[in-house]
Amino acid sequence: MDLIAFVNFYLVPGIILGSIYALGAVGVSLLFGILRFAHFAHGDLMTFGAYVTLTAVGVTGVSAFLALPFGLAMTIALALLVNTVFYRPLKHLPTIVTVISSFGIALMIRAGVQLVWGTDIETYQSGIQKPLVFFDTFRIAERHIWIILITAALIILLHHFLARTKTGKAMRAVADDPELASVSGIDIEHVVRWVWVIGGGLAAAAGVFLGIDNQLHVNMGWDLLLPVFAAALLGGIGKPYGAIMGGFAIGLAQEISTYPWIGTAPLVDPGYKSAIAFGIMVAMLIWRPQGLARGRLFA
Amino acid sequence: MTIRSSLAALSAAAVLALPTVALSQESVRIGVLAGVTGPLANFVPPILDSVNLAAKHVNDQGGLLDGKTMEIVVADTQAAAQPAVDAANKLVGVENVSAIWGALSSGATLAAATAVAIPNKVVMLSPTATSPEMTGLDDGDYVFRVVASDDYQGKVLADIVKEEGINKVAVTYVNNDYGVGIARTFMEAFKAAGGEITGEQKHEEKSASYRAELATLSGGDPEALVVIAYAGGSGITIVRQSLENGFFDRFIGTDGLRDNKLIEEIGEENLSTTFFSSPTSPPGTTAQDKFKTAFEAAYETTKDKIFIEQSYDAAFLLALAVEQAGSADRKAIRDALRAVASPPGEVVEPGEWEKAKELIAAGTDVNYEGVGGSLDFDDAGDVTGFFGRFIVEDGSYKETGVYQ
Repeated sequence: MDLIAFVNFYLVPGIILGSIYALGAVGVSLLFGILRFAHFAHGDLMTFGAYVTLTAVGVTGVSAFLALPFGLAMTIALALLVNTVFYRPLKHLPTIVTVISSFGIALMIRAGVQLVWGTDIETYQSGIQKPLVFFDTFRIAERHIWIILITAALIILLHHFLARTKTGKAMRAVADDPELASVSGIDIEHVVRWVWVIGGGLAAAAGVFLGIDNQLHVNMGWDLLLPVFAAALLGGIGKPYGAIMGGFAIGLAQEISTYPWIGTAPLVDPGYKSAIAFGIMVAMLIWRPQGLARGRLFA
Repeated sequence: MTIRSSLAALSAAAVLALPTVALSQESVRIGVLAGVTGPLANFVPPILDSVNLAAKHVNDQGGLLDGKTMEIVVADTQAAAQPAVDAANKLVGVENVSAIWGALSSGATLAAATAVAIPNKVVMLSPTATSPEMTGLDDGDYVFRVVASDDYQGKVLADIVKEEGINKVAVTYVNNDYGVGIARTFMEAFKAAGGEITGEQKHEEKSASYRAELATLSGGDPEALVVIAYAGGSGITIVRQSLENGFFDRFIGTDGLRDNKLIEEIGEENLSTTFFSSPTSPPGTTAQDKFKTAFEAAYETTKDKIFIEQSYDAAFLLALAVEQAGSADRKAIRDALRAVASPPGEVVEPGEWEKAKELIAAGTDVNYEGVGGSLDFDDAGDVTGFFGRFIVEDGSYKETGVYQ
């Protein structure tokens, strides 16, 4: 196993997976930080985004990357709708009610996807796409280049939003200390709406990228929930930059841990890859519950 | 509450109650455990068609017992253990079924059997669960199947691979009862026949990337990759990522991978050297012709529909067992199942419900000879069976050999 195999088959897939986790984790982390509840329907927002984009691809025939804005818009609309209809009225009840209701929302979204698109596996583009080969050694699929570039662009946009705009600053303030933010005259409802716009949009992008990398099925987002939560916790709740770091860290850890570091056998049996995310999450909760970026602590 | 409104409520209650009362008198309920959603979802619609065809044959030709209908109650297992237990609990506890058809995947079947069917003494007859685990299951003789164990499929697959002239293979299998069971017997048989396993790797379903596993497996110069997994769970992803990265260009699959979605997603041109083993029916029996004619009359074509034979057989056998038992009693059905499936007795074939009903009424033994073979249960509730070798041709799967 040489360096180039490591880069091609462990590092690049790790980065792709990390991008997907990071995009999902930002929403989870912000929602957790600002609305103070674990949003279990986040995975199914990803699924919804992926399937809506599938329809756009089917109708227009363009690539999934070009159809992505449509998927983003529809998922943001759904996220705002869910917030208005379900979460906002439950705001004054104990948090656990909202958490449980988010489970319900998850089931409703998934059932809706099943109803509309069926339970079959789908792909944006059938057949196989050979990767591009550089210098006779480095290979990367074109779609993976796009995933990395668009993820980078989305992160830069997010940074710009959080650092430069008034709403972005308000959002960070609310995530840090909601009481203080509220008495300084920040319109919490306005911030919450924007959290859904960002969370929903990035979730849709994560879902579409997962579908592009691989395939679409109705449980795709739900299955992603554990690593995404692990990423959010690793980064620190309420810390979008931490969530991005956490996403990449978990994605890379999952892939790289299966590299044959010692001898010729994989260090960790790939059958237990998904346990890595869980292991990191548990370890963080025990030793550094505030996460890498000093996020909020929940008693 | 006035007298009038209580009367209205009463009559409303009576109307609501009527159908249930009527149903419980006029039908025998057979529970069907199938992975309607989940990794096997692609397989399920034709399988349910087949079950309904068996029920239709029964109901059109006199029904069960003294004019009761055979009612099919479907519950979704998601082809996974925990949902299968929930679904089986619902069938046994709420729907009050007399017997259970299913489940499809081995993991779901074992879980539902151990947690629900065996303790509640409800017979379970699976059309497709192939794990060797089922043979040794301590089931109080309540769990049967009409498909041969992977002990056989693993051995047959090893034979087919050797026959192809392939001596070095890498093996990847899904980490569940199905994958582990079949992989173990295949690797033993292949090594015993002088073949070399260059690497083996179990994998988790539904992962986004198997590139790391595949990179490791491609070492040691194997001639092909044996993929023991469901197409919808991980199989398609593994084949795609192997081809895209040049790890493997030849695959050997089992029945789980033999899914039309595989051809659709990967493309026929990329599967020209790939072949599959899969349970099949014995060549050219009259039972088969009868089934094929009936199925095609109802659902246009049998082409590309996998496991419809076994599904029909299992449903028809359960109906025969009810008839033989003379009641919808769960234990009596179990007791009757062996008798109607095995000799001695007058031979009954698919679709011949009227004949079977008359024979049973006259006290004659019957012996169902199914589409998938003669289906004589051994002590463990297993049958021997036939396996086909399949290749991809003209956009679908073509059988090129039958092994026993």
